[in-house]
Amino acid sequence: MPIYLYLDRETFLHRLNPSVKVFALFVMFWSVYWVDQPLALVPLGVLLVAAAEFTDSWPNFWRLRWLFALVILFTTLAWMVFYRRGPAVANLGIIHLSHASLLFGFGRGLKLAELLATSVLFLSVTKVEELTEGLTKLGVPYRAGFAIMLAFRLAPLFIDSAVTVAQAQRLRGYQFDRGGPLERIRRYVPVMIPVFMGALRKANNMAVALETRGFGRNARPTSLAEYPTRWPDVAACVVLAGLAAGYFLIYYAGYGAIAAN
Amino acid sequence: MRDLVLMWRNTRMVVLCAISGALYAAVLVPFKVVPLIPGVTELRPANAIPVVCSFLFGPAAAWGTAIGNVIGDFFGGVGPGDIFGFLANLAYGYVPYKVWNALAGGRNPIARSPLSIGCYVTACLLASMQCADIVGWGENLLALRPFSVMGNVIVFNNLLASLALAPFLLYAIYPRVCRGRMLYQDMMPELRAMPRAVQLAGLALLAFGVFGAWVAGNLVSTGYWEPAFLPLRMVQAPYDGAVAVVVSPFILVSALGLGLM
Repeated sequence: MPIYLYLDRETFLHRLNPSVKVFALFVMFWSVYWVDQPLALVPLGVLLVAAAEFTDSWPNFWRLRWLFALVILFTTLAWMVFYRRGPAVANLGIIHLSHASLLFGFGRGLKLAELLATSVLFLSVTKVEELTEGLTKLGVPYRAGFAIMLAFRLAPLFIDSAVTVAQAQRLRGYQFDRGGPLERIRRYVPVMIPVFMGALRKANNMAVALETRGFGRNARPTSLAEYPTRWPDVAACVVLAGLAAGYFLIYYAGYGAIAAN
Repeated sequence: MRDLVLMWRNTRMVVLCAISGALYAAVLVPFKVVPLIPGVTELRPANAIPVVCSFLFGPAAAWGTAIGNVIGDFFGGVGPGDIFGFLANLAYGYVPYKVWNALAGGRNPIARSPLSIGCYVTACLLASMQCADIVGWGENLLALRPFSVMGNVIVFNNLLASLALAPFLLYAIYPRVCRGRMLYQDMMPELRAMPRAVQLAGLALLAFGVFGAWVAGNLVSTGYWEPAFLPLRMVQAPYDGAVAVVVSPFILVSALGLGLM
């Protein structure tokens, strides 16, 4: 699985201010949260599909297609076990199959799938630096934002390093696929040790390099990339605020709920 | 919890935080494709990393674990529940070394005495359950997934990794990091431990809160316990209101205990 989902395109959503993108993420969470009824979730789904088409993010969605299907299926089943409301249509053991439990479970599954789609879309149009910038603008301390960015950058390097060590071990005749599942996982411990130690060796040099560039100073650092706020950002914020308000009104008016019986 | 704030002033600790997060994410992301319960959780051998890092890097590992989990979540779908995922993983990286310090003081965590093994298992058990409690409580509070699903799957997953994998990694890495003077005690000599009596009182509160939340959460979310003091509309699926009222005090007590340690 690739660690970066960013797709370099020249679209309106790619050019939005990072803070607006983080705000959009929040608005999607907010909107999805207030409604349970699957029908009320459909407009958000349509919006996400349109955004995926507009930003040409389909390769990322296609890569995760099974995850989407499984999320919906298993969430529906899980809630049919615990949401035992409404008259049962059929007796399926621990699964309470009723109109209400099916609707509730499917609604939850759809909710989680839409949240997954939101995160895929967000990562498809947002670089790691933009995410950090957006978080910093929204009040996350600079050092925390920097640590997030550095972790995002280092993770693929560590994966590459682990793959290299695993290949070297295989060449020496080490077998990773012997034994049961736990034994197989345990056999990766010798791979983790050099990756861990290599990472720690980098840590000291990295800290020195950062401090020589003034990281330890208290002043607010400047950034090479500037993200000014333009009128499309303001327009996007207005539309997003409208969407958030609209979904709260759907909840408030009672259209987002599921009747239990 | 002063150490969680103080560490951000130390550049090396910031780098170690990013490295802990990246290592965690580097093992987490490839295993996203091996779900235990699709849409709920996947096989997470990566959960050994926070425990190892906690003993090595203390507060930096706690923040690193939280950041690593966020990176991992971006590849399995982010949502409002991830705020609780962030806090839960912060606790998962924070609890082991705190509990170890309270129980074993300055003892070496790789010693093979029965006392050390007992302290290690206690630290892992409390960390795993604290993490599971926070995620289960948060997700049930938002009515996304039942406590009894999340709470139990996470305890199983965390305990499996921290007891079956982490000791091997710790045994191989700890002496090297110790020799390289890269333990958190070497990086932040200014950290002062609380008096032992206060630490033990904190530990007792933590244990009470953690076990109480887990038992109450399971009983309420499965409908086995219908607290008589709650209004009838709260004591029905998805039990979000009941979980909020019954489990929240235990979560607060455990957080207070952690604060005292």
